[in-house]
This record gives sequence, structure tokens and C-alpha cells, in this order.
Amino acid sequence: MLLGCTMGNCLKINSPDDISLLRGSESISGQDSGPMPIYQHEPLPQMFYPASSASHSAASATNMSEEDQIKIAKRIGLVQHLPIGTYDGNLKKARECVICMVEFCVDEAVRYLPCMHIYHVHCIDDWLMRSLTCPSCLEPVDAALLTSYETT
Amino acid sequence: MANMAVSRIKREFKEVMRSEEIVQCSIKIELVNDSWTELRGEIAGPPDTPYEGGKFVLEIKVPETYPFNPPKVRFITRIWHPNISSVTGAICLDILKDNWAAAMTLRTVLLSLQALLAAAEPDDPQDAVVAYQFKDKHELFVLTARHWTNAYAGGPHTFPDCDSKIQRLKDMGIDEHDARAVLSKENWNLEKATECLFS
Repeated sequence: MLLGCTMGNCLKINSPDDISLLRGSESISGQDSGPMPIYQHEPLPQMFYPASSASHSAASATNMSEEDQIKIAKRIGLVQHLPIGTYDGNLKKARECVICMVEFCVDEAVRYLPCMHIYHVHCIDDWLMRSLTCPSCLEPVDAALLTSYETT
Repeated sequence: MANMAVSRIKREFKEVMRSEEIVQCSIKIELVNDSWTELRGEIAGPPDTPYEGGKFVLEIKVPETYPFNPPKVRFITRIWHPNISSVTGAICLDILKDNWAAAMTLRTVLLSLQALLAAAEPDDPQDAVVAYQFKDKHELFVLTARHWTNAYAGGPHTFPDCDSKIQRLKDMGIDEHDARAVLSKENWNLEKATECLFS
């Protein structure tokens, strides 16, 4: 429910606080909002393929089959719909990102998973390209979201 | 990205060093090289198992893609266990393969391996011979695992009968470990072991 109203318009990284994520369409402003065309999105992080090392990721991206490229593009699209907020230093929340084990800084961009675990955006995005589960609780990352995006 | 692997391992190293388990001497970890890509772990055999009293050394290799991919772990200390190869030390454990999650750490891996020693899964074996013995001749399995713990991991229980059979094969020019491996596989039947070695 909470996620339902955030879908599709929460791509802004510099929102004033994470409450803004919950206001739905009010937070739309300028070109930062709305789903971006996935092919023009930020360069792919280097770690999509378990076997690739940083040095040949560029090469492997061009050698990928069209099918794989579409799959990855869809997954990027899916991941982009998970809300981003800024870390507010609330002591009830995790203090560090369990992926890199570095403490969050106040106002740093964090991505929220449906289970409400938070991570650095670049850390969790790399992980979600490999596995659509929360690294902390292994909860699937919104199966409903997944099916609706992977089948369309 | 390699930077994330190294900085995480450094933090995890501290975590293990501060952990309760290290105080109890139940797990241990040390560096093998300066690049933080290879470590050596050690776990104590859990109480009330054939591995009790033994110390088992593990080779831990950290991939460049860590923590997005699991560390590569194998037993250096020889061990008789259905989910660990008695020949190579390779481990069959889901969290070291498909069920790895980025929130897992060296500490949780070592503790999971300790749990594996306490609860084998013979239906998902790494070593088919051991798994068969575990299911079919469980008493012999326990004896063999205890004997290996004594021979390779410093376990307290000695088995004069096993030792004398191994000695018989050694007298025939067989290497001690090869003799132990064949006898273990042949359920300590000296005749069958000899046949297997010389046929």
C-alpha cells in the first residue's frame, strides 16, 4: 500500500526527506520525475554478471544477446521503481549499509526495499541486478511488481 | 569494485576479532596475503559430534565481486563428512552457492560451516561414498569421522584397531593417507581394502 502510491514518481534523489516519497504525485517536478527511458539511464554498473570482472564488463555488454539485454533493461526498470529517500539519522533505522558495511551519512541517498530495509543506492542496485531479494531478510523484492514488469 | 571487497573484508575481519566466538576459541580467522583476497579460517568441531575436539582449517578466497558473490571456501584439513569432499575439501553448502546474500559475512559463513558439521545433509552429498556410509552404516561413519578428526584435526579419540589396519597397509608400501582413505571407503574391511589397492 505504502509502495503503491510511490510507484513511478520517486526517482528524484534529492528529495528533502523520505516522507516526500509518500506524497505521491506532489513530488513530481521537472524532468527528474517519472520513469525514465531505461536505455538512456545512467551507465550500467559494472557488476551485472557474476563471472565478469570490472575490466571486461564493457565488452560483455556488447556481446550480450538481445534477450539478455532486454532482461537487464527490464530489471533496471523494475529497480528504478523502488523508492529512494535520504538517510535522516533516525536511530530506529539501520546505521550502516550491510552490503558495504559503511555507516550511512545524514542526507545520503538510500533505497528502500518493500521490507523497509535500506541500503546505499549503488550498493543495492548492484545486488538487485543479481538477485531480486533483500540481502538482509531474503524477502523477495515485491513479487507483484516483478511479475507486472517482467511480463509486459 | 575491488575496493568494496577489500574494505568489507577489513571491516569483517574486525567483526570476527571482536566476536564472542573468538573468545570461546570456536572460530578463528587470519590473513594469508597482504591483498586481503585470501584468508585462512579455523573452526572448532562442535560438541557432541564426531568432530568434537578437532580444529578444522579452511581456505577462504575472496572474489573481486565480493560481497555480491560468495567467498570460495574449502576445507584444508581432511574431514570425513557427507557434504565435504574427503579428497579435495570442496563444500556443498547452499549459502556458498545460490543462496548467498550480501548481508552474510565471513563470521556467518564460519558459523554455518560449524552448523553443517553438526547437521549433515546426506541427501545432498558432496562425497557420495561418505554419504552412503552415513546412511547405511552410521556407526562406522561415526567411527571413521572420529578417527579422521584424530588423525588430521587433533581430535582426542584414538582407534587402535584403525591404526593397526593402516599400519598393515603401510607395511605393504602404501602411503598412510591413501591407506586410511581406502579403509574408510571399504568400511574398515582390510581384505577388501587390499583387494581394491592391488587389483
